[in-house]
Amino acid sequence: MTTPLLELRNVSRRFGGLSAVKNVAFAVGNGEILFLIGPNGAGKTTVFNLVSGFLHPDEGSIHLEGRDISGVAPHEAARLGIGRTFQLVKPLSGLTVRENVMLGAFMHTASADRAAAEAGEILTFLQMEHLAAQPARGLPLAVLKRLELARALATRPKLILLDEIVSGLTSGEAVTLAGLIQRLPERGVSAVGGVEHMMQVVMKIAHRLVVLDHGVKIAEGKPADVVRLPAVIEAYLGPKYRELAQ
Amino acid sequence: MSSLRGWKPWALAAAVLACGSLALVARNDYLLQVLFRIVLFAGLGLAWNLVGGFAGQLSLGHAAFFGAGAYGFALLSAASTPRWVALFLAAVVAAAFAGIIGRIVFRLRGPYFTLATIAFAEVLRLSVTNLKLTGGAIGLSTPALFSGRSTWGMLYLSAIALAVTAFVINVYVARSRFGYYLMAIREDEETASAVGIDTASYKLRSLLISAFLTALGGALYGSAFQFIVPDSVLTIDISLQMAIVTMLGGAGTLYGPVVGAIMLLGAAEVFKNQFQESHLLVYGILIVLVVLFLPEGVVGGLQRRFGGR
Repeated sequence: MTTPLLELRNVSRRFGGLSAVKNVAFAVGNGEILFLIGPNGAGKTTVFNLVSGFLHPDEGSIHLEGRDISGVAPHEAARLGIGRTFQLVKPLSGLTVRENVMLGAFMHTASADRAAAEAGEILTFLQMEHLAAQPARGLPLAVLKRLELARALATRPKLILLDEIVSGLTSGEAVTLAGLIQRLPERGVSAVGGVEHMMQVVMKIAHRLVVLDHGVKIAEGKPADVVRLPAVIEAYLGPKYRELAQ
Repeated sequence: MSSLRGWKPWALAAAVLACGSLALVARNDYLLQVLFRIVLFAGLGLAWNLVGGFAGQLSLGHAAFFGAGAYGFALLSAASTPRWVALFLAAVVAAAFAGIIGRIVFRLRGPYFTLATIAFAEVLRLSVTNLKLTGGAIGLSTPALFSGRSTWGMLYLSAIALAVTAFVINVYVARSRFGYYLMAIREDEETASAVGIDTASYKLRSLLISAFLTALGGALYGSAFQFIVPDSVLTIDISLQMAIVTMLGGAGTLYGPVVGAIMLLGAAEVFKNQFQESHLLVYGILIVLVVLFLPEGVVGGLQRRFGGR
């Protein structure tokens, strides 16, 4: 069996008395698009913060291509090939769209010209090259979400973490963005997304789903199978609907 | 920042030549002394700009580096180090000191960072005031870098050299990856680290350069007045003035610190003569007006309004 790209081995993280993530284990393969789903507070963002080094696990370990990366700092995680976007978009608003993306590209080159060229290529891939010279300040949310993706892609990650990448978008915007995410494996990038809503989008582009509820993994598998599981329906809709599902 | 990149070396050279030639024309020591102060603070503002402007870390403790430069220069000279060697050695010592302070204060963010920088500078001021080595509150005499009749002219030219060096470093920073990284840190540290920037290390690097330049300024200042006391070179007034000059002109811009120094120190000089003691009031009003109408500083505000950004 080949080593998975990313592997979480029984990872737990507590905040005070609250277990945000409890014994969570799953793996992501090369070229895979996996989505973490679960209601608000299920622990999705905590998982993203753990994988990208913003938090460290209390128990268990996280492995990238077999290497233990449990204790690395965020910038080290980025350099090891883990890109991420933030749930609340964080554009560097004093900079232009191109400059925002250049920041990612600077990980591989010290030359501003080369970083600009690389940023241009990524903006074209994400169909936003016409916005390159715009200041990031005041752009609409749909563009900012794409900008987050562009900046992370510019670091040439092996794996990209997309925390609530489609939240707050209209379904039209979400579908467009999902179409772009679907093309990430073409660039050799795997993705772990996290969503609460917009299930129709996830169903279309996710190869696999991992369902979290109160910090615990309750299901994992192909989207069509997972959403039929009684435990998943219960987590989303409450125990009343469990019997209906059966 | 696009207008940052549009600087013209010939325009800079012309401005420097014009300012420099004033040293030959002006035979008036008072005028030269005023010019010295303005240019010195332009250089200091540019030094502060690296940390406070580009990296967005509002330090109000730069007096520590200024004073370290002045005291280092005085002490090293007293230990019979050649003057020019002492000058640069003092700056190296100040930068090393900044390395230690930086490791601690950069753990803090926002107002806590600012408070910590003030605290460090104050601790240094109080230590120097109470140490025998540094002459306590009585202070130390500082050797003159230049002798002869044109001392102020030479000091003025040295200040120009410092300001130009600081300016060129700012230009380099504005156009390089280093500068982009500092701006990313200013805008959002989490995003910066998510694109692989070691924020602690970059903040520290900007502080080292800034402290080195600031210390050179402090040593020049000490040498100009030939006597230093803690209350002249380690006072928070120096830190405040460096920050205000930069923010008034436009923090994170290339010309901001220069414009700010001319406005603030020029105005202070004019008003001192015109309004005597009430010059501080005018000074205050000037600051309030800029904060109200040009919160990004004069250069920052004008850039936003007329092209550039």
